[in-house]
Amino acid sequence: MPHVAGLLRVARRLTLDPAAAEDLVQETMLLAWRGFRGFERGTNARAWLFRILFNVFHGRARRARYSPEAGAGIIRPMLQEAAEIAQALDALSTEQRAVLLVCVVEGFSCREAAGILDLPIGTVMSRLARAREHLKKMLEPMAKAAYK
Amino acid sequence: MTDHELDQRLRQSVLSEEVDASRIESVVRNHIQGNRWRAFLWAAAALIVVAAGLSYRVFYTDPLPAICAAAQQDHQREIVNGAPRRWLTEDSAIRSLAETQGISAQAVAALSSTGYRLERARLCFLEKQVFLHLVYARDGSEYSVFLHSPDKSEDRGNSPRGGAKVAYLQTPRVTAVFVSRERGAITFARAGANVL
Repeated sequence: MPHVAGLLRVARRLTLDPAAAEDLVQETMLLAWRGFRGFERGTNARAWLFRILFNVFHGRARRARYSPEAGAGIIRPMLQEAAEIAQALDALSTEQRAVLLVCVVEGFSCREAAGILDLPIGTVMSRLARAREHLKKMLEPMAKAAYK
Repeated sequence: MTDHELDQRLRQSVLSEEVDASRIESVVRNHIQGNRWRAFLWAAAALIVVAAGLSYRVFYTDPLPAICAAAQQDHQREIVNGAPRRWLTEDSAIRSLAETQGISAQAVAALSSTGYRLERARLCFLEKQVFLHLVYARDGSEYSVFLHSPDKSEDRGNSPRGGAKVAYLQTPRVTAVFVSRERGAITFARAGANVL
């Protein structure tokens, strides 16, 4: 089943809760299956799936309000540097985190990300720039230590 | 740290996480397969219902009684081919003849009230039973109506059955077969069902 791993990876970073992430991806896949007639052949299936994922995520967030702090600390990479980057990423706002995950981690263009996140492309670009700045600030101590 | 370096580290960090999607794939697959089975079962059930309905219509539709075929033959012989027979043409004589067969004279008159004109009548045998053969006319066409006092056990309500050339009707008071050379038997029978 293609793209599920990528969806799950992004879902875990979005929700910061492995169980909630699995639920989110599961619902995404089922919605995609039910709504497959709505998929336009020849368009990007991966982007379509991510769009569904974010729709479900925002719908759930509106209903239940995900609390990133609640699950923080559960998902951790093994390496020290990776752990610190992940910690910095988790500390960003959900909006900035989403834009980084879609554009940087999953490699979608800003135009594609705008479609996935249902945002104007200008908003995507500005959020991306702000997210990078925040992340850099948080990772500065680590960078300094690396150059010592 | 440049944007490019940051992106690279971020990507490496997130992609280094172990992701096991097998449980989700299994759940989704089971759900989809379950739905496919449900859809298949529903389709099969619908097909069976439709097939049963069609079979019932084809094999169990109440056929017209044999008397209808005999009535058609009689109509062909007596009316279409014009076999030389003695007919009663006076209304009073026809009503009297109907009464002798246990058929209400009012039934004969009632049929005339549906727009068909009574022309003549005689008795005939259909399937070894005596029938009152009435001939009505409308728009240049002649229609035969064969009336018989029914057996009480054969009462089936008064909905006419049949087609364009022959129709059968049974009421508690009378059994009637309507025959026409071209079309109109069932139309006459429906009109008759309202008055007989």
